[in-house]
Amino acid sequence: MSARAPSAGPVTATGTASHNVHGQAIAITVFSTVKWWGKPILPALFAVTKRVPKLTDTLVQLSFIHFARWSLVKQIPYNGPPQSKRKLRYTHMYFESNFNGGWEEYIDAFSQILTDGMAAFWGSSYGFPKALPTAPFKKYIQNNEIEASHYYSAYPEATITMVKAALDVDAKLAALKRNAAKMEPEAFAAAYERFLTDAQRSL
Amino acid sequence: MSSQDNVNGQAYGFQSMTPIEPGKEGELRAYLEGLDIDDSPFGKLPRTHMGRFVIVKDFYNDPSWGQKEEHLDLQYLIFTSNLDGDIDSYLDELCEVMAPEAREIWGRCVGCPENPKGAALKAYLKHNQIDCGFFYAAYGTATVPEVKAALRQRDQMIAFATRSQGLSPDELQEAFAAEFGA
Repeated sequence: MSARAPSAGPVTATGTASHNVHGQAIAITVFSTVKWWGKPILPALFAVTKRVPKLTDTLVQLSFIHFARWSLVKQIPYNGPPQSKRKLRYTHMYFESNFNGGWEEYIDAFSQILTDGMAAFWGSSYGFPKALPTAPFKKYIQNNEIEASHYYSAYPEATITMVKAALDVDAKLAALKRNAAKMEPEAFAAAYERFLTDAQRSL
Repeated sequence: MSSQDNVNGQAYGFQSMTPIEPGKEGELRAYLEGLDIDDSPFGKLPRTHMGRFVIVKDFYNDPSWGQKEEHLDLQYLIFTSNLDGDIDSYLDELCEVMAPEAREIWGRCVGCPENPKGAALKAYLKHNQIDCGFFYAAYGTATVPEVKAALRQRDQMIAFATRSQGLSPDELQEAFAAEFGA
């Protein structure tokens, strides 16, 4: 196996503060304040989204998000003074995404393609202006976004498309690697051609 | 929500939210922002796909939105990691190999153990854990070493496919075996 580092494509991470960027990867971190009725509805919505994979098909197809999370901060763990024991009046929703591409393009895609999903997840947040049109939504995200102080990716040179393609090649190459030594040269050459045809979209 | 909500495939989403000692916010921010991205403490944890430190000064309040104002009592440090496998062994590793950085980071937070490492630091981080509501991982079945190896191998395959054009079946099989150890 070669020890070469994976090739880096052109860096596409744009439109955000430098501490939110590591190579191709961008961090977005957003807190929003949830209305009273979001507190019971959001956990149910998360549960349904997790159990019905079809609901995240679009997210998968968009192929620019490595990892994302939504969490609800209902109370902050207490650690002793000088931290206050005061209970939070509202539930606050924390959202983070690890994606690639430009910040503007990311928000545009989120707004225009995941319009219903956005309304479902952020519809109970104060100030959410609807996903479309995009300008007020971008303003909303900018107001609620917090810049990372340190952000890390283990493979900063890779976009999500590159990762998925690499895993696809790995799966398809495995059988050829396993059987190559047992094959006659002509049979191997034919199998190799089939592999290239099969994997060409990932190469 | 349950701890199972932090899992997607074999991937785990960890998050902690710890109060920063008043007066130490600036030095913590300076320390975190001064970390070399190419020598990140996360790099000591080979099971980390992506991680971040974020300092939250306050909640955003906009009177026109109709909510009553709510402010944080202190500034808070959010630490998140998207990692491979179970959280207990990951935190065990973190609390050993990141002990020097942990003193600089959580050592500036309220309630952090005096000697921020090992079991005491792990207990502190778990006490301050915020569970995910929904955790999305695009390739939650692949570990960091698997992703890195696959990326290297794809490059290798592209180069090999270019180089091996025109070889006879014998030469091709031999070259493939030499390249991929088959």
